Amino acid sequence: MKATIFELKRFADHDGDGIRTTVFFKGCPLRCVWCHNPEGLTALPQIAFYEHKCIGCGKCQKEDFNPDACLGEARVLYGKEMTVEELLPLLLEDREFYETSGGGVTLSGGECLVQSEFCAELLKRLKENGIQTAVDTCGFVPREALDKVIPFTDVFLYDIKAYDEDVHIRCTERSNKIILENLKYLDEQGKTVEIRIPYVPDYNDREIEKIAHFLKDFTHISRIRVLPYHNYAGSKYRALGMKHSLPERLPTDEELKSAKEILRCITKISCP
Amino acid sequence: MQYINDIDYDYIINKHHDASKPWNGMGRFVRRDEIFDPATGMDADALRDGFLAQDEALKDHPHPIRKARALEFIMKNTRISCDPRDRYPSVNANDRPLKKTIVDEWKREVLKQIVPEIGAKRSYFEKEGIVTIWPDYDHSMPMWERVLSLGFAGLLRESEKARHAKEWDEEQEIFFEGIKITYEAILTLVDRFATLAENTEGSERMAKALRQLEKGAPKNFYEALLLDYLYFLISEHIDYLQVRSLGNFDRLFYPYYKADLERGITEEEIRTDIAYFLAQFVAISNYWNQPVYLGGEKADGSTEINELSYLFLDVYDKMGIYTPKIQIKVGKSTPKDFVCKALDMIRRGNNSIVFVNDDTMQKALLREGATKEEARLCHVTGCYEYSRQDSYFAQMNMLNLLKPFEYTLHEGYDPITGNRSGLPCPPPSAFESFDDLLAEFKRQFCHIVNEAIEVVNGFEGYLSYMNPLSMLSATFPTCLERGRDAIVGGARYNDSTIAFGGLADLGDSLMMIKKYVYEQKKLTLSEFVSILDQNFEGHETFRQMLLRDREKYGNNLPRADEMTISLAKFCIDHVYGRPNAKERGGIWKCNFHVARHSYIWGDKTAACPSGRKCGEELSKNLSPALGQAREGITATVLSFTKLDNTVMASNFSLDLAFLPSAVRGEEGLEAMYGVLMTFNRRGGHAVHFNVFDAEMLREAQANPEKYADLQIRVSGWNVLWNNIDRWEQDGFIRQAEAL
Repeated sequence: MKATIFELKRFADHDGDGIRTTVFFKGCPLRCVWCHNPEGLTALPQIAFYEHKCIGCGKCQKEDFNPDACLGEARVLYGKEMTVEELLPLLLEDREFYETSGGGVTLSGGECLVQSEFCAELLKRLKENGIQTAVDTCGFVPREALDKVIPFTDVFLYDIKAYDEDVHIRCTERSNKIILENLKYLDEQGKTVEIRIPYVPDYNDREIEKIAHFLKDFTHISRIRVLPYHNYAGSKYRALGMKHSLPERLPTDEELKSAKEILRCITKISCP
Repeated sequence: MQYINDIDYDYIINKHHDASKPWNGMGRFVRRDEIFDPATGMDADALRDGFLAQDEALKDHPHPIRKARALEFIMKNTRISCDPRDRYPSVNANDRPLKKTIVDEWKREVLKQIVPEIGAKRSYFEKEGIVTIWPDYDHSMPMWERVLSLGFAGLLRESEKARHAKEWDEEQEIFFEGIKITYEAILTLVDRFATLAENTEGSERMAKALRQLEKGAPKNFYEALLLDYLYFLISEHIDYLQVRSLGNFDRLFYPYYKADLERGITEEEIRTDIAYFLAQFVAISNYWNQPVYLGGEKADGSTEINELSYLFLDVYDKMGIYTPKIQIKVGKSTPKDFVCKALDMIRRGNNSIVFVNDDTMQKALLREGATKEEARLCHVTGCYEYSRQDSYFAQMNMLNLLKPFEYTLHEGYDPITGNRSGLPCPPPSAFESFDDLLAEFKRQFCHIVNEAIEVVNGFEGYLSYMNPLSMLSATFPTCLERGRDAIVGGARYNDSTIAFGGLADLGDSLMMIKKYVYEQKKLTLSEFVSILDQNFEGHETFRQMLLRDREKYGNNLPRADEMTISLAKFCIDHVYGRPNAKERGGIWKCNFHVARHSYIWGDKTAACPSGRKCGEELSKNLSPALGQAREGITATVLSFTKLDNTVMASNFSLDLAFLPSAVRGEEGLEAMYGVLMTFNRRGGHAVHFNVFDAEMLREAQANPEKYADLQIRVSGWNVLWNNIDRWEQDGFIRQAEAL
């Protein structure tokens, strides 16, 4: 069994507790307007070209060109097929850092649960090795996908982008019905969930209160994180030859502060 | 500035440098005659002429007497100041007058007349960029507990007691006489300070404290700080012996702090005292910073961290200063919140803090036969060096590891100067296997190291002849028992250290040769050498391939790490335990910390097979080469800790750079803590963190005025970004780009 992975990020300290290694899986069912990982959208491998890094080595002009040979690292392959056996030793390399910091491994993407069978196998092997595990998901996945990983996942990092369905469709091109139901399901199963709300002005900034009311009756939410939208991804879109319509306006500190305050007040859940 | 009003602060920071002139970290020993009242003494020229004339008349006397008499002349005649805007007095003779005159003259005499062949070799090594050798008067530390518990008067009394306890030979009598003259002279200066303070309105507290210090030991927190400062000022600035640490601040000063609080002194007053104390070192502001350390363990193994540790860090933080630099001894008993307070300061840009691992230091010292108590109470000096308390640790030379490697590839010749500095050896084409090449490198390396050690051993015995250390020796009980100067066997431990530079460049270079010449046979060694000789001109594609190859030290890849680590071990094995000069009676150790020479040697070191071009800086410490740690911080820590840091009690240090975005928020702090704890658990000795990104550094280079407080840790010390040279700044930008 293989999965298509577009990045392994070590010393990831904002993808769950402690120091983590995050595995980015390729392919995503949503099309968020603000997506900052465009290389994770399609399931197939892509080669990006970062023009400013090109040193003219000419390797890409050869027929059997492999992006790994590009000397300026201007051509980058996003999407590499890997087996659990290949991934596992890489993920165990930083085990001591996980132990001293309360960290572990996070599966992310794209949407990792699109490749749920692989995820389940990988998570199982990680648990066998005593590694704390997290699954970062958009929630737009079949129930069975969740069921496969639930036994081996210590915490879910779960995105809520909007409560109102129309707003959600406008932001992501998909309905959020499944997403909200899946979240309830996880709560019923007693799984610890950290909610993540990307805060995108003019898109979902009016959703905060509604989301808060939706979340207030959940019992297993450990914390809610508001993730400020940033527009750094433009160069990645260009390098991938993809069009984007990234929002221009960035959230202000006041907006973020007030969003957190609303969430805290209504849900009584920690919102750092 | 918090704790110190602007008028006071302005006065203090102008005491040593004219703060309106451009900063010159190398020029800390400058004279400011003009700001002293001429009625208090001689200007610095008259002072120099005076003690030199006096010395002329003492020509037949032994050096300890001559130096002590010269010091006495200065103590009696230097201009002095005390000012209600400050809590510490000053002298105009703070430009190391004894060094530039008699000590340098005695050094010349030793190296040019007494052992001229040794002196000539030393100069040659320096010129060629192979080894920098100097008589090390830079790494000592008095036994602060004794200084504080006895005071100047008590130290003198103890020395006289030892002197009269038994019969001594003539040389030993001279040793004691040197101490007597020195300390009587110091007491004269303290008396002059006190009298001036008594006559200065607003300096009554200083006057009272000085009178106490004239009598004996300090009785309160401020008096203890004042004594620490006076010892430092006289030793480092007049007597020419660097005081490489103000000591274990929280351990030394806690009893005084506690007693003051019980007497009803407020915490706020204590904070203010600390602030004026720290401001003295900001005023001096030398390039290498003034070290002071915190934490560690008490003799019984419990943590040394106390309320004063927190207070000290807090005052330091609020003052927003970058010197003194602080080492924190972190062990299993060190409270997490204290470490996190320091980490938080670091990520806010305060790069003046370095962590040293108490467990590793203790293990290494125990292996060397220290008792548990000695190991727990070990000193941290300089950048991160450590030793048992009563030792004179000397770092006598720095050796560029890439030089013997260049000789290996050039039949014994230096490719830059064309001189034959190595042993004759066959041309590159003759090395049929990688092992042949490695064996030749080792032969060249051993030859140079042996020569360097021979040079140092040849003059080490004259260290007290060149610069008698009466002031320091009085603080060491063993010196008084033996009647011997601390620097030549008076101290209990007398080790010498050689520092190797460019280790990762060497390891990576050998790795690239092994891979591309001997395994993949992409080119011959001769072809490779000819490309290096052209400094990669016309071979940029090849160079990029070398740079991109991740099989370099620092990425936790077994082969590459094994290459560099085994070279480090080879260096250690070749040096560790060899006897140093018989007069000192210690052993040789080594480390991989060449301070600023990583930059200085850049131009003198040819292009490397690792892809490094001539002119670029060498790898620092035991850190990966610039831009080569491509797998990130965790991999680098794993690579570094493959070397047993307890193999000897010597410093092994790693520089880590973090992006500001990686360490933001509560999680960022936890992650930093996790890195430090993993580093410690795996037995690393010293680690320091730089937090920066390339964009910010470029911005700071373009707009220095906006980044007046940006600090960078260079290599064992930190400095304001605006105070380093542009080419050094460029090096940091390249490092940040590689993150």
